[in-house]
Amino acid sequence: MEPLDQELEEGELELPSEPMSLNVGPSHPAMHGTIRIVMELSGENILKADVQIGYLHRGFEKMCERGTWTQVFPYVDRCNYASPMLNNVGFALAVEKLLDITVPLRCQYYRVVLGELARIADHLTCTGAMAMELGAFTPLLWFMKAREMIYDIMEEETGARLTHSFGRVGGMAQKPSPNMKAMVAAILPRIVSILGEAEALLLQNRIFIDRLQGVGKISAADAIALGWTGPCLRSTGVAYDVRKAHPYLVYDRFTFDVPVGQEGDNWDRFMVRLEEIRQSVRILEQAIDQMPDSGPINVDDPRIVLPPKDEVYTTIEGTIQHFKIVMEGIKVPAGEAYGYTEAGNGELGFYVVSDGSGTPYRVRIRPPCFAITQALGGLVTGIMIPDVVPTFGSLNMIGGECDH
Amino acid sequence: MPTFKLDGRDVPFEKGDTIIRAAHRMGIDIPHYCWHPGLSVAANCRMCLVEIAPPPGQRPLMLDILSWDKDKNDYVVIRKPKLQPACQMAVVENMEVKSESSADVAKARSQVQEFLLLNHPVDCPICDQAGECRLQDYWLEHQGTGKRMRDEPVHKPKGVVFGPTIVYDAERCIVCTRCVRFSAEIAKDPVLDERERGNLTEIVVSPGRKLDHDYTLMTEHVCPVGALTSSDFRFKARVWFLRSARTICTGCATGCNAYLDYDPRTMTPHRHRPRDNLAVNQYWMCDEGMLSYSRVTEGRVLEARVGGKPATLEAALIEAKRRFAGVPKQSIAVVLSAQHSNEDNFALVELAKSFMGTTELFVSGKPRGKRDEILMHEDKNPNTVGVKKLAPAARPFEELLERILGGSSTHVVALGADVPGDPELLEAPLSKLAGLVTIASHDGPLVRRAHAVLPACTWAEAEGTYVNSRSMAQRSERAIDPKGASRPAWELLALLGESLGYATRWKKLKEVRKAMDPDAAAAVPAGV
Repeated sequence: MEPLDQELEEGELELPSEPMSLNVGPSHPAMHGTIRIVMELSGENILKADVQIGYLHRGFEKMCERGTWTQVFPYVDRCNYASPMLNNVGFALAVEKLLDITVPLRCQYYRVVLGELARIADHLTCTGAMAMELGAFTPLLWFMKAREMIYDIMEEETGARLTHSFGRVGGMAQKPSPNMKAMVAAILPRIVSILGEAEALLLQNRIFIDRLQGVGKISAADAIALGWTGPCLRSTGVAYDVRKAHPYLVYDRFTFDVPVGQEGDNWDRFMVRLEEIRQSVRILEQAIDQMPDSGPINVDDPRIVLPPKDEVYTTIEGTIQHFKIVMEGIKVPAGEAYGYTEAGNGELGFYVVSDGSGTPYRVRIRPPCFAITQALGGLVTGIMIPDVVPTFGSLNMIGGECDH
Repeated sequence: MPTFKLDGRDVPFEKGDTIIRAAHRMGIDIPHYCWHPGLSVAANCRMCLVEIAPPPGQRPLMLDILSWDKDKNDYVVIRKPKLQPACQMAVVENMEVKSESSADVAKARSQVQEFLLLNHPVDCPICDQAGECRLQDYWLEHQGTGKRMRDEPVHKPKGVVFGPTIVYDAERCIVCTRCVRFSAEIAKDPVLDERERGNLTEIVVSPGRKLDHDYTLMTEHVCPVGALTSSDFRFKARVWFLRSARTICTGCATGCNAYLDYDPRTMTPHRHRPRDNLAVNQYWMCDEGMLSYSRVTEGRVLEARVGGKPATLEAALIEAKRRFAGVPKQSIAVVLSAQHSNEDNFALVELAKSFMGTTELFVSGKPRGKRDEILMHEDKNPNTVGVKKLAPAARPFEELLERILGGSSTHVVALGADVPGDPELLEAPLSKLAGLVTIASHDGPLVRRAHAVLPACTWAEAEGTYVNSRSMAQRSERAIDPKGASRPAWELLALLGESLGYATRWKKLKEVRKAMDPDAAAAVPAGV
């Protein structure tokens, strides 16, 4: 900027015409995650935006290569931390693909139930935060109220509100609690009602609408070319959902719709997420209806699943089984597999390679928002500074997952 | 070579082979506890049962057994083939053996394994064998189920002291009798036997005796479970934390092949155990050799010394230079060490011949000791033959003492701390020296009397080649990082040469080896 105390003749005074450089982040209140955007501005218009990721890089993939396969779960918890259960399930499915095993039916339903709850929590967080960043604080609080109900169930089921580490290769860490179904059934109508109330506050609001509609637009072709998946891709009108396109677990047994947008703007992304919450509620209603009340949760294979704790302490067979799995890890046959599921932000893929030992040879994650974030620079170029906030918010970039 | 079929695969065999031995030679594992390639066949664990097809034209040997039929809710009579122990069945040409491919064999193994674990205590968390235990491995591979017995397991003596080195736990024992057979057949001291019958059987030491022959630790090593544990290793380390280096035992001139197990976190060696080499030590090692790893940490020289006091390496080198300045060549004597590797001795020979120009070469080493017909050699130095090849003109250490007393040698560069003969007799000659530089890893008379001491690595901290009594050059791998300020002796000799004004041809181990033997240096594979 021009120094203010420069002595200039009246006639020489000109408005500065050089582009101004503005840095946002890596830690900024209006930023969801730790990300840095360096913008070149002409007035309030963005001429150029340089999006820099990597501030949350922890070497997650490398860390996976030194423990056992089971010890990867706490790491994937911390990828998309808005919906950790979906990551748990996604990773477990990838390893199970390599092991060529299928978990029992009851476990498949259990994974769907916990996963869809996590998806609702993810979408509530994203949309709520987006509204808050635009000045609407009340919807966020309401969404958080709904999310708390989900977190309560998660805590009841897994013992942890956020980082559950609950998935296991070949099953889950515990069986469902006795009143899991009742708890889920109780909160579903309340979530829908909270959703309606929050929508009533937002969707008629002229300011809110103006800041979303037509802002941050992307075409379906561009989105596909950039590798977009999930709600962001669907907002452009492409009805690609892994749950429908490549059904896994028991998703082919449920009736649900894949909501799509038309414009691919912030508004569509916002609305797609809201609608997906309702679809998840539909899935959950069917899932708790169909889910068997008894039956095994884990596969019946002593090489993969830990024995019950009382057996570990009282029988030599249990001790040996526990020892072999904990100390040496599950022996996953040599080979490679790509397991992919529909996570909160889109297709979450795990490419796992095993050399036959108890330790992963390589774990590669395909985080959905990595592909999505690469479009941010292009999306905000040509629009104004205040538009960065909703545009970035609607992409739902999660640092833990993006900086893999 | 004739062959037989094992799981449909053609396996060659030699005359007199059993099935398991022929398979073992080809690297095919048939699960077993009691069989050991170096011991006689007991065939008592029944883990190696295999199905053998009858000779052409003969009926298969079948057994009628009762089997529970779930649908009928009753026992029904079924027939199953009579399985044979692979460790005892001699192979004949074109014999058809089913091991992994037979459902009956799989079932038998599972049930044998269940049987062996019936009375086993829940000891894995406190058992030294955990992590390298056959019971654990085979349970996962061949059983994978719980036991059906609901009775209280049989209780037997625990923590029985067999001798100075071995503690026995009868509850963990599967009575494979490997230790009994080892003592009788290899150590030639039948001091162990079984007592009682059935599930009360236990191993006992002969009344009035202790397990105290020279190979007691081998009984622990051959034990496939945690029944025999070594007092030395007991509760010291968990095996899954240990790493192994392929070493050569430096306890005597036999040069047994060994693994040195060490903890990489603390760089502490924890045990020495045999590495199979049929040409040298077969599968065995003596107690002395297995316990020799403690020399890596005990009695070490870990810093340079000047006049008996700790000093920096630089100060010791300056002292050496001061003492050796202007000394006539014929007054300098050089002592090689049969305790040190070829590389170390070669460095010293080079220094002596090319720089000092002295021909006064002598060899030191440990005094002679016990020998037996099994492995122990009376020469307690690992590299006597190697030194002899490097310096054929080198004379015994005793002759150096005469020269010093006669006044012909006034300055000495010595490698190694060990000397043959009585250390007391050294005091007088060594105190006459005007200059003594010692490169040594352990304390000894040559270190105590030295004007300058350079701290050397032991065999565990440096790579080295040792030539055993049968002229076999064997390489030993480095296990741990050098302790204290110690460095490989050849490296110290290079520094010493530099300080005395002589530029050596080598700065790396590879270069020493190349200078030592330009053609064959690379040809000696590690640990062979």
